[in-house]
Amino acid sequence: MLSQIAFWGAVELGLVFAFVAIGVFLAFRVLDFPDLTVDGSFPLGAAVAAVLITVGINPWIAAFAAMLAGAAAGTVTAFLNVRFRILNLLASILTMIALFSVNLRVMGKPNVALINADTMLSPFFGLGMREVYVRPLFVGVLVVIAVIAVWRFLESDAGLAMRATGANPHMSRAQGIDTSWQVYLGLALSNALVALGGALFAQTNGFADVTSGVGTIVVGLAAVIIGETLFGARGILLALIGCVVGSILYRIAIQLALSTDALGLKASDLNLVTAVLVAVALVLPRLRRGASS
Amino acid sequence: MIDLSNIHVTFGKGTPLQKDALKGVNLTIEEGSFVTVIGSNGAGKSTLLGVLAGDVLANEGKVMIGKTDVTRKSTSARAGLVARVFQDPLAGSCGSLSIEENLALAARRGERRGLRSALGPRRRELFRERVAELNLGLENRMKDRMDLLSGGQRQAVSLVMATLAGSEVLLLDEHTAALDPGMAEFIMKLTQRVVSERKLTTLMVTHSMRQALDFGHRTIMLHGGEIILDVSGDSRKDLQVEDLIAMFRKMRGETLDDDALLIG
Repeated sequence: MLSQIAFWGAVELGLVFAFVAIGVFLAFRVLDFPDLTVDGSFPLGAAVAAVLITVGINPWIAAFAAMLAGAAAGTVTAFLNVRFRILNLLASILTMIALFSVNLRVMGKPNVALINADTMLSPFFGLGMREVYVRPLFVGVLVVIAVIAVWRFLESDAGLAMRATGANPHMSRAQGIDTSWQVYLGLALSNALVALGGALFAQTNGFADVTSGVGTIVVGLAAVIIGETLFGARGILLALIGCVVGSILYRIAIQLALSTDALGLKASDLNLVTAVLVAVALVLPRLRRGASS
Repeated sequence: MIDLSNIHVTFGKGTPLQKDALKGVNLTIEEGSFVTVIGSNGAGKSTLLGVLAGDVLANEGKVMIGKTDVTRKSTSARAGLVARVFQDPLAGSCGSLSIEENLALAARRGERRGLRSALGPRRRELFRERVAELNLGLENRMKDRMDLLSGGQRQAVSLVMATLAGSEVLLLDEHTAALDPGMAEFIMKLTQRVVSERKLTTLMVTHSMRQALDFGHRTIMLHGGEIILDVSGDSRKDLQVEDLIAMFRKMRGETLDDDALLIG
């Protein structure tokens, strides 16, 4: 079984990656745009926030700056796709690769430590609650705010236009929706959320690392798919809650797999375990459908 | 009002596959007039519709809709002037959105879309009323996904969507072609009602000569990118499908070999 610390650590990490899951949901599901930019925008968010915090800037402002940087990264991908008609997947890979260098430039070195710096969480330590609870609680509150904001947006006239763009672009244009603008807006929003996840990751873990982005997209997708498997397609709010729950369950599953001695897995097996979990999550709905028909 | 002057459309200009889809089309449709368009495959019907909708930009000529010159305007930029129902029932709506969400999308056609909730109580009630007028029982399924509906039901909702926001013209692109005969008749009756109630300037492309003569005030026939027949008033009233075929032969001086044109 998991120790309490390991369990709450998994929940905390799941909540941090819930931002990634919501961002991936916006790109993949709402806009139908397979966007791999997130592998670069997650460490970009971490790098921007960490560097700004180490030079003494308010961590909230640093997190906001990280979101802007993420939005800019998303805009680059959208620009390559919309303006030059580069295949969406390829456009996002180009941005992702470029971001690796950008992230090194931002940090000036492969990683930045935040050990003694004031983070967004600092004021909440020492209020009497144990640190192991404070962290997931703090991130959880931010996740709830993000879920409500994205939910209200997607159910507004503007959000409906974005959903229509992903579902039927030709019809959307006939309804007066500028679909190019929607791709810009959607990818900016998606990558801003992912970068915010990166900024929170840096602050809860005390470091930003240029390699921390590897596989972000798979983790985000895993959360989205687990959420869909659990909740089905029953409206935007449930889909978003599914992203959050999926992200947490994914982390707990990984933690369980790695801490069960009987399986003999090591931390270095993480990517293999992730791939197997995502494959299982992808196959399960299909098996279920097969059984019912 | 629609005013097309000297419209030329050439696809693949300068390539071996160059095709003149429209060759100097002139067409004026008065406000509130209902015009039906016929022609064989490749005659230029779809291109004509595309030029009006914005999907095809004319190489030459001028397109006026109402008082606006839309010649160079994109589809989305002129959407406030143009309402449209597509041939494919899947094309005119979003299958993954609910009926009421599709209606909410259409209600703001050509307008700014803000952060207000797309489905407030007042709008919901309006949409329900409008869908109830169809007598298809869909008013009780407003939250159902659009792709759960049959082709005919989707076309019926598409017609409601086309009339939720104001527009200068209504374009119907063979909108009954994919339906069974019973449903096609229902959709045509509905179309007739909607067009006359709202006095919409309407252009209907159809595959059926029967439909072309039975509905609307005026019929035009396209062939090889040109308008070869334009009838209205008394001369149209006396016209039979057989006459249309005979006229077609006389004007072109060639034999009609396109069976598709005869059906219906």
